[in-house]
Amino acid sequence: MLRKYAILLGAVMALAWSSTYANPEDDRMAFEKYFTTKFPEVPLNDFQNGIYSVDPVARADWEQIEEFPPYELAIDAGEAEYNKPFANGKSYSDCFGDGAVRGQYPYWDSERKEVITMELAINECRTSNGEEPLRWNKGKIAELSAYMSYISRGQTVDVKIPEDDPEALAAYERGKQFYYTKRGQLNFSCFDCHGTGAGKGVRLEKLSPALGHTTHWPVYRSKWGAVGTLHRRFGGCNRQVRAKNFKSQGQEYRELEYFLTYMSNGHELNGPGARR
Amino acid sequence: MKKYVISGLLALSFVVAGTSLAGDEFEAAWQAADDKRKEAASMKSEWRDTKKMLDKAKQAAEKGDMDAAMSLVAMAHEQAADGIEQAERESVMWITRVPR
Ligand code: HEC
Repeated sequence: MLRKYAILLGAVMALAWSSTYANPEDDRMAFEKYFTTKFPEVPLNDFQNGIYSVDPVARADWEQIEEFPPYELAIDAGEAEYNKPFANGKSYSDCFGDGAVRGQYPYWDSERKEVITMELAINECRTSNGEEPLRWNKGKIAELSAYMSYISRGQTVDVKIPEDDPEALAAYERGKQFYYTKRGQLNFSCFDCHGTGAGKGVRLEKLSPALGHTTHWPVYRSKWGAVGTLHRRFGGCNRQVRAKNFKSQGQEYRELEYFLTYMSNGHELNGPGARR
Repeated sequence: MKKYVISGLLALSFVVAGTSLAGDEFEAAWQAADDKRKEAASMKSEWRDTKKMLDKAKQAAEKGDMDAAMSLVAMAHEQAADGIEQAERESVMWITRVPR
């Protein structure tokens, strides 16, 4: 009974909170302001360097690592794969042209009524040409993605939410709700760590600010010893708070990517990245 | 001699009935916990270890360690119920965290 009242009270508070309706652009500006206010010394275009934008000690290590980037082998492997013809004689270039397309993803497909990510498009390119799909999180798909991200460097994040399609906005809203919802036995939302907690430490690691979180994928992590995709990271962060992770490239994570990438609109793509 | 055999058989049948009763009770409790887990999952609020606990409970039951099995089921059930409660709470509270 008490619980019912508590939820009701919460609902009233939440309603009062949300009574002024926000649109995605207002959301994005408030999101950006949250981080630029919290870290006034960090230049706006440095946030895409994640934890290294707010942790000078770790940054020095990282700058050294970037002199001989650990993701270079993955880029080369991805390039070779990109240029290898499929069994039917076609290749990735029949789907993606020169491959410098990272900036076009994720996007809302109004006919299919779903968010299309670059990794999803890579596998659909394969299956529509009679090839087996690749596994989502690492290996070949991350290498292809590393190559395509590399040649897309310098493009600007520009996620669009088509105004003539209310279902696109609904997908964005679901991604947004996912981001702020506490989950798991430890009862944390993404924002609890990467917003409220940004710059603070969890065990030995500091927490990166969420602004710019999507600009540099895939990432070579020392912990993984390889490049991995954004959805692999999502899964890891969910499990970290002892929540069950969701399927890579399932609806939840694609809509999460749609929201989170929109929050970084205007930022420069700088993938692939290197992280601890 | 005959008497012993009969009472022995009788005792055995009690034991068998006893374990299968415990077995039925376990099955029902396990199923209820797993249903709760699925309900939490449908609210996108399943916790990481709930399924593992249920798997371990099955293994313990197969080994005949019913105490361990039942206590794992109880823990899994509680996790699932907490996940559901968390989802209900969060369905209204999440928005209070959005920067504005
Ligand atoms: C308990 C704290 C915690 C929570 C909750 C959490 N993360 Fe993380 N996350 C981390 C840590 C620690 C790292 C590694 C250090 C860093 O870059 O912040 C990380 C890294 C990341 C990165 C990579 C950053 C980069 O620069 O490469 C992304 C993206 C990310 N998290 C997204 C999420 C999302 C989305 C959620 C919610 C589903 C989430 N995180 C929830 C702790 C958390």
